[in-house]
Amino acid sequence: MTEREARQVQDSDAPPPENGRGTDAPRRSSLTWALVGKILFLGAVNALFFVGLPSMLALEWWAGIAVLGLATALVNWAYLTKKNLPAKYLIPGTIFALTFQIVPVIYSGYISLTNSSISHRLSEEQALDNLTGRASNVPGTTRFDMSILADPEGTLALFLVDDEGTETFGTQEGQVALSADEVTRDEDGDVVAVGDYTLLGIAAISERQNEILDFDVPVERGAIMAVTITTAAVYEALYTYDEDTGMLTENATGVVYEPKDGIFTAADGRTLDPGWQVFIGFDNYTRAFTNDSIRGPFLRVLVWNYVFAILSVILTFAVGLGLAVTLNRAGMRGQKIYRAFLVVPYALPSFMTALIWAGMLNQQFGVINELLGADIPWLRDPTLAKASVLMVNLWLGFPYMFLVSTGALQSIPSELKEASYVDGATPRQAFNAITFPLLMVSLAPLLIASFAFNFNNFNVIYLLNQGGPPIEGATTPAGHTDILISYTYRLAFESGSGAQWGFASAIAVLIFMMVAAVSALSFRRTRALEDLA
Amino acid sequence: MNVKPASDTPNPAREKSGSMAAGRSPFRRWFRTLGWRHIVAWLAMSFAFFPVLWIVSASFNPLQTLTSQTLIPDSLTFDNYRQLFGGEVPYTSWYWNTLLIAGGASAVMTMLSALAAYAFSRMRFSGRRVGLLSVLLIQMFPQVLAFVAIFLIMVQVKDVFPSVGLGTRAGLTLVYLGGALGVNTWLMKGFFDTIPRSLDESATVDGASHHQIFFKIILPLTAPILAVVFLLSFIFLINDFVLADAVLGQGSPEGYTLSVGLFRFLNDQFNQRWGPFAAGSLLAGIPVVVLFLFLQKYIVSGLTQGAVKG
Repeated sequence: MTEREARQVQDSDAPPPENGRGTDAPRRSSLTWALVGKILFLGAVNALFFVGLPSMLALEWWAGIAVLGLATALVNWAYLTKKNLPAKYLIPGTIFALTFQIVPVIYSGYISLTNSSISHRLSEEQALDNLTGRASNVPGTTRFDMSILADPEGTLALFLVDDEGTETFGTQEGQVALSADEVTRDEDGDVVAVGDYTLLGIAAISERQNEILDFDVPVERGAIMAVTITTAAVYEALYTYDEDTGMLTENATGVVYEPKDGIFTAADGRTLDPGWQVFIGFDNYTRAFTNDSIRGPFLRVLVWNYVFAILSVILTFAVGLGLAVTLNRAGMRGQKIYRAFLVVPYALPSFMTALIWAGMLNQQFGVINELLGADIPWLRDPTLAKASVLMVNLWLGFPYMFLVSTGALQSIPSELKEASYVDGATPRQAFNAITFPLLMVSLAPLLIASFAFNFNNFNVIYLLNQGGPPIEGATTPAGHTDILISYTYRLAFESGSGAQWGFASAIAVLIFMMVAAVSALSFRRTRALEDLA
Repeated sequence: MNVKPASDTPNPAREKSGSMAAGRSPFRRWFRTLGWRHIVAWLAMSFAFFPVLWIVSASFNPLQTLTSQTLIPDSLTFDNYRQLFGGEVPYTSWYWNTLLIAGGASAVMTMLSALAAYAFSRMRFSGRRVGLLSVLLIQMFPQVLAFVAIFLIMVQVKDVFPSVGLGTRAGLTLVYLGGALGVNTWLMKGFFDTIPRSLDESATVDGASHHQIFFKIILPLTAPILAVVFLLSFIFLINDFVLADAVLGQGSPEGYTLSVGLFRFLNDQFNQRWGPFAAGSLLAGIPVVVLFLFLQKYIVSGLTQGAVKG
C-alpha cells in the first residue's frame, strides 16, 4: 500500500472510536488475571535488565546496556500507565525490530569502518592483557613438586619441593624458606599443614581451579605458577609493555613492537597476534574499488549480481506467464490438477532443492550427464555454471510467477477482450494491447519485489555451487557465480578467508544501499501504476 | 480428448476415431485449440517433477552413492532412512531444532504482527502514519544482510546471557523475531480493516476491554490470515541458511537446523552420502509441501499482495 492509499484509508475511516482512549472497564475476574500476568511480565523484563547489568558493566558493553535499557524503559512506560493504548500493542514488535533489525543494520555500518576480523576482534586493552599475560618457562630453572594449601580465611599458598629436596613455602608475597617445626606431616611423611595453612582436598581444588591457575608466587625473575595440581615451575612474562611510549618489548630478544593499524608490529614487519579493532575510516570501501586484486573480482561479482537478478526475473516471469496464458483457457480439462502439480517446486524448501540440483548437475556422477551420456562441467565451467544457476533458479521461481500471473489473468474482465475481438483485433493484438498492460499494473510491484529478492538469493548461489568456480587470481574468496551476499558470507565465515568482518560489513552496507534504491523505486512505481489504473 | 468441437459438419465416426491422418479432423482442431496446451502442461510438469522423482528414487535406492543411482531402483530399501537415523549424524535433533525454532518464531512473529496491526487498524494516534511507513521502510534493510553484525552481537550476548547467546536455539529464535514487523503487518492490517467496527463498538458497549476485543473478536475472525502469515513465516524461516549458520554454525552439530546440517552433511562427502541425504531432504520437504498445498488458496492471495517466500 502506498502513502496515498494509507491516507485514503485513514480519511475514509470512521471517526476515532471511543476505545482508542482506553475505556478500561473489564469485568473483575479478567482484571485480576490480566493484572497478575502484567505484574509477572513487567517483573521478568525488569529482572532481565538488572540481572544482565553487572556483567554488561564489567564487560563495558555500553551498546548492550543502552539497547536493553531502552527496551526495558519502553516496556515500563507502555504498560505501567493507563494511557498510551496504541503503544501497548506496538511496543513488543518494535522492541524486537529495534534490537535485531535496526541495531544490527547500524552496527554493520559501524563495523564496516573498522578492521574487525578474527585477528582484530578484541579491544586494545584486551589484546594487551592477552600479550602481557603470556609467560614462558624460565630456562635453567627447576620444576617443583607442589602441594596446595589454604589458611582459615581461604588464602592460598604453595608448599614446594625442588629437585634437590629443598622445601620452600610460596605465598602471594614471595617464596620463603621453611624450618622443620613449621611443617606438620602425616605418617607417610606427606605434608598436611604449614603453620595456619592446611592442605586442600581434591574437591576444594577442583572448586577453586581457576583461582589456583591464576595464583603466582613472585620470585626474582618471573613467578612460580602451578603447572598441574601437583607440580609448579618458574615462569616469566614474554613481553613488557611501556605505558609511556606504548611500545611492547620481547624480553628474550629485546625486539621492540610498535602498535600499528591495530596490531603490534616489529621494525621488520613481524606482528603479534592478537590484534585489536581500530577505526580505519572508509578504507574497506575504497579497498573494494581501488585494490587491484580485489577490484577486478568484486566488480565481476557486482555485475553478475545484477545480471543474475534481472535474468532470473525475466526468465521466471516469461515462463510463468506463458504457462498461465496457456492453461487459462475456458473448457480445458485438468487445469486444477496441472496447477496443483506445477506449484510443487515452489512449495519445497529451497535450501533442499538447491542441494538436489547440485547432485543432479555433478559432472562425474550427476544424472544430467548420465542421461545425456556426456561429461559436461555444469558447475565447473564459468559460463555453464552461470547458466546452471539461472536454470535452477528458473525451476525454483517459475511456479510463483505462474501462480500470480494466473491470479492476475483471472481478475481481468473478459468483456474487455471480447470487445476488442468485436473491433476486429487478433488474439495477439488483444493480448499485447489489453491483457498485458493490465497484467503489468498488478504484477509490476511483484516483479520489483522479485528482483529485490533474487538480488540477495543466497540459497541458490551458495548451496548449489558455493559461488564457484573460483575467479583466478582473486585474493578474496570470489567465484564466477558469486553474488554480493554470498561473497559477503564467504568473506566473513568461510574458513581460510581470515573472517574479514569489517570488509564483509562494508559490502553488506553497499548491498543495503542498492536494495534500498530498488525498494524506493518500487514505492514510486506502485503509485504511478495505481494512478494509471 | 472428449471435447466436442463446434464444427460445421460433425461426423460422428471420425470424431470417435480422431486419427492424426484425418486432414481437417476434429483431432487437429482439438489439438490447435486445446491439445497443445496439454502438451505444454505435461512438459512443464516433467520439468517441475523430474528432480522430485529423482530424489524420491534416490532415497529408496539400495546403492547409496550418487554414481550408482538409477531412476528406477532395482529394489526398494529403507537402508538410507536407517542410516540417517543410525546416529552418524544427529538428524532427529536437526529436525526437532528446525520445527522448534521456525515454529516458535513464526508463532510469536504472527502474534507480534497481529498486535501491531490491531493498533494500526483500530486506533488513531499521532505517529500512526509515520509508524505505518516505517514498517515498510524497515523492509528496505533486510535483516539477513546484517548477518555479520548479528553474529558479533550474539558473541557478546553470550557473555551476558549465555542461554540466548551464540549457538543457542533461543538466540536464533530471538534474532528471527526481529523480522516480525513488515509486509505481513500491512497484510494483516488490511484484513483487520475489513472487520466491521460495529462489532468492536457493540462489544465496548457490553463492557469489553480493548484486549478482550482483540483476543475474542478480532483474532478469531481473522484466523485465515493468521494461518497464512504463520505459514509464510514458517517456510521462510525453514529456508534460512545465513542467519542459522551465523548463530548456530560454530557450535556442535546437534545444534544445527536442517538447512545448515544437511548442507554440511552432504558437502563433506558428496558422492557417498547421496542416499541418506535424499531420504533426509524428502522427510524435511514433505510436511511443508503438504501444508502448502493444503493452504494454497490462502497463500496465493497473500503472495499476490507482496509477500515473498525464500
